[in-house]
Amino acid sequence: MAGSMGDPVLEVRGLSTSFFTHDGEVKAVRDVSFDLAAGETLGIVGESGCGKSVTALSILGLLPRPGRVVAGEILFKGRDLLSIGREELRQIRGRDIAMIFQDPLSSLNPVLRVGFQVEEAMRAHDKVAAGEVSPRSLDLLQRVHVPDASRRMRNYPHQFSGGMRQRVMIAMGLSNRPEILIADEPTTALDVTVQAQILQLLRDLNRDLGTSIILITHNLGVVAGLCKRVIVMYAGEIVEEGSTEQIFDSPQHPYTWALLRSLPRVDADRHERLRSIEGLPPDLISPPMGCKFNPRCPFRLERCFSEDPELEPVGDGHTAACWVTMKRAYAEMGAGSLVDTRPGAASGVRPPMADAPLADTGGSQTVEPQANEHD
Amino acid sequence: MAITLTPETLEYAGGTLAREQVGLWRDGLRRLRRNRLALASAVYLGLLACTCLVSIFWTPYNPNLVNSCPTYAFPGTPGHPLGCDDLGRDLLSRLMVGSQVSLAVGLITAAIVMVLGVGIGLLIGYLRGVVDAIFALIINVFYGVPPLMIAIVLYVLLGPGLINIIIAIAATSWMDMARLVRGQTLSIREREFIEAARAGGARTGKILFGHIFPNALGPIIVQTTYVVPAAILTSAFFSFLGFGVPAPQADWGGMASEGFSPMIAGFDPYILLWPAIALSVTLLAFNFFGDGLRDAFDPRQRR
Amino acid sequence: MLVYIVQRLAIIALTLLVVSFGVFVVVHSLPGNAFISQRVHGRSLQILLHEYGLDQPVMVQYWHFLTGAIHGNLGVSLYIRGEQVTPLVLRELSVSCEVGGAALIVTIGMGVTFGVLAAIRQNTWVDYLLTSIAVVGYTVPSFVIAGLGIMIFADFLGTITGGAFAYSPVWTGTYGTIGELWLPALAIGFYTSGQITRITRASMLEVIQQDYIRTARAKGLRERVVTIRHALRNALVPVISILGTTVVGILVGVLVVENIFGIPGLGKEFVESITEHDYNVTVGVFTIFALLIGLSNLAVDLIYTLVDPRIRY
Repeated sequence: MAGSMGDPVLEVRGLSTSFFTHDGEVKAVRDVSFDLAAGETLGIVGESGCGKSVTALSILGLLPRPGRVVAGEILFKGRDLLSIGREELRQIRGRDIAMIFQDPLSSLNPVLRVGFQVEEAMRAHDKVAAGEVSPRSLDLLQRVHVPDASRRMRNYPHQFSGGMRQRVMIAMGLSNRPEILIADEPTTALDVTVQAQILQLLRDLNRDLGTSIILITHNLGVVAGLCKRVIVMYAGEIVEEGSTEQIFDSPQHPYTWALLRSLPRVDADRHERLRSIEGLPPDLISPPMGCKFNPRCPFRLERCFSEDPELEPVGDGHTAACWVTMKRAYAEMGAGSLVDTRPGAASGVRPPMADAPLADTGGSQTVEPQANEHD
Repeated sequence: MAITLTPETLEYAGGTLAREQVGLWRDGLRRLRRNRLALASAVYLGLLACTCLVSIFWTPYNPNLVNSCPTYAFPGTPGHPLGCDDLGRDLLSRLMVGSQVSLAVGLITAAIVMVLGVGIGLLIGYLRGVVDAIFALIINVFYGVPPLMIAIVLYVLLGPGLINIIIAIAATSWMDMARLVRGQTLSIREREFIEAARAGGARTGKILFGHIFPNALGPIIVQTTYVVPAAILTSAFFSFLGFGVPAPQADWGGMASEGFSPMIAGFDPYILLWPAIALSVTLLAFNFFGDGLRDAFDPRQRR
Repeated sequence: MLVYIVQRLAIIALTLLVVSFGVFVVVHSLPGNAFISQRVHGRSLQILLHEYGLDQPVMVQYWHFLTGAIHGNLGVSLYIRGEQVTPLVLRELSVSCEVGGAALIVTIGMGVTFGVLAAIRQNTWVDYLLTSIAVVGYTVPSFVIAGLGIMIFADFLGTITGGAFAYSPVWTGTYGTIGELWLPALAIGFYTSGQITRITRASMLEVIQQDYIRTARAKGLRERVVTIRHALRNALVPVISILGTTVVGILVGVLVVENIFGIPGLGKEFVESITEHDYNVTVGVFTIFALLIGLSNLAVDLIYTLVDPRIRY
């Protein structure tokens, strides 16, 4: 994986995290590896439960109780975050690597003043001199466009709107000028217009301060707006990685492809139904054999049921974990003409019958493309 | 994004998706049985009830007979496993008989409180308005003074006797139950099936007792289970302060009170010890059982 | 806010009225009178009754009481000649407050500390031990704890140390020294702290799950800061809401404990006044208790606004 700008500031190698529950070991993240270059904006995309948040929490050691990292290395400036002491990790949190979360109302302490919470982030570390903390927090709040900042610093979180609260969180996260900011679904709980403003803010901060950003989201539109590179996760594994253009223009993994297809388009034919991916994400305690996406994938080979594919290069700096890849699906499996015509069904793509897998030859077996039936 | 489930996808998804659906009561009873502390408490309470019943007809010695054994005899004296008190009465017999008072006070008070509290709570919760305002006023006033004090004054007014103790305690305990039932009624009455019943022409009484009451039954039962130890505790305080059942009827609080001076003086702690243990264990048993009931029937718990 | 306080004071005044009237009427219907012990009968009794105004209709008597009470005069003791009720009650109030205050410190100190420790060490032996202590605390009657305490610290300790470190359960003088105060305070506090421990623990457990705790850790705050400044601050809110009931519980405990240790406070006075039929004193005690509870409830509600800035009246 070639870095696009500068040296990697974060290197994740083979990270595996599991939750040890009463029902068994939930393998939430499995063998995930990626790099983050200095000043880069990286997006991690996937459905709920695919492991993207858990990956982020693993980096900072913030996993909730039954969760634990079971394997891997996370190299930050040469040091493995998984093997340093608790005190050292505490110092890195908030100072060198900061994280902001999804719901800014529940993520801010309701009984403490907002200004105090921002200042607290700085006082916890010694990067900012004591006398500078107050003026700096005022400056930060102004920089994130909180109006009337000097008065509002003394307000409590419940006196702010959602968008304002998220700005406060960002100010808090950036207060120590960290090298990396991890944003876990920062816009999910906000209105669409506010979303755009927050993304713009993050873009500006990345440009002006050079902070690397990892943006975690399930919303592809958000990714397109902010990130240079994208990682797609499914069932705890990375299934595709590439630049934003590559992912959007030529997705190679069927899951990515299906995700993109499911985005409602303004210019779609009025009669086309919304498309969805049929089925549910797999049980992470006892996942299916072979490729984890096979129950829901329309382009399956026999191999898909028995061997879990590794990430292979499919372009310049673009990798995907699939035995088929969309190139072949278009060429040989008629992916271009796929529609689901069952009456009343969401117009996604229906996987073929279980006991009729396609033979692994370059042959011309096709998925049953139904006659294109418009109502 | 709508996701449809087909049988094939269910198979491939791996693992089970649906949980076994059990009824609330069966599920609750199952959980209660698994709670060992609650079970042990239930066993103890059963034994206590038996002892109480037996003591009505028979005790090793006459509990009120003075000098049936040497005064201040220690436990282990032949024929008197628990020793004797300052007047030479057998402690084991007195302890057994004392359980009658405690259980009677506890259970009867709980029954009265349940009837009164449920009745008043249902009415207030359903009728609301002025009635509710009056109730709120009464509650505020009652909570302004320690209930124990009011109960004592009431008892003195009514005169000595077990029944009057029960009345006095019940008169100061029904408010919590009424408040609970009122709250339950207020929330249940908003549900659609009440609307449906009313539309169907059901009379108020039928709605209250046929629909609202059964739905509030869970918390009511749990709360009643807590009233019992509270009443026993209050009656123990009564006896201890000198307002208990008239002598010579044995009762645990009174026995404890009698046992205090020998204990302080240092020569016989057992007169205090046995009723203290009996009270404590009984109260603990009732509380644990109540906790077990509450946990077992809490619909929010899944395990 | 000011309107709220005034409303609350009005309710307190109303409560005092109702309570004092109720008790007055009830108490004056009780059989017997305060002069029995003086063995006064017939004519002399009538003279005495007249002297104290006890031969007038109840409503008239209450009216006298009320007009006097507004000026702070709660009447005269029927039992002890010439003793004014108001100074008597006030003096005993201060004694009871001393005991009650000590019990409050024990309650909150023990309760909150145990609750927090049990929560952060959930499901370890620490948790089980502290929770068990709490359960025993609020189940077992305070006189049992007092008795046990005396047994251990007075008798047992006295025996094995040959009288050197024995606790003396007899209260000397009006106000107690720390040495005399701690066991009564503990006997009361053990009981009331049990509930506090339970609620603190449950509240902490819930708060620890909250997102803002995760944020606090993500900021790199030290664990102790996270626990106290972030978790506990929020966890205390429900605890404060039961402080009102806790105060009532402490008062009940004071009542009982004073009678055990012979502490010359309101609790002891209450029992005595009833036994001696000294009804003026009984009414006075009730009134003071009601005032105390009303004011403390108001104080608790006001403290509430300090702790949780989302609450405003």
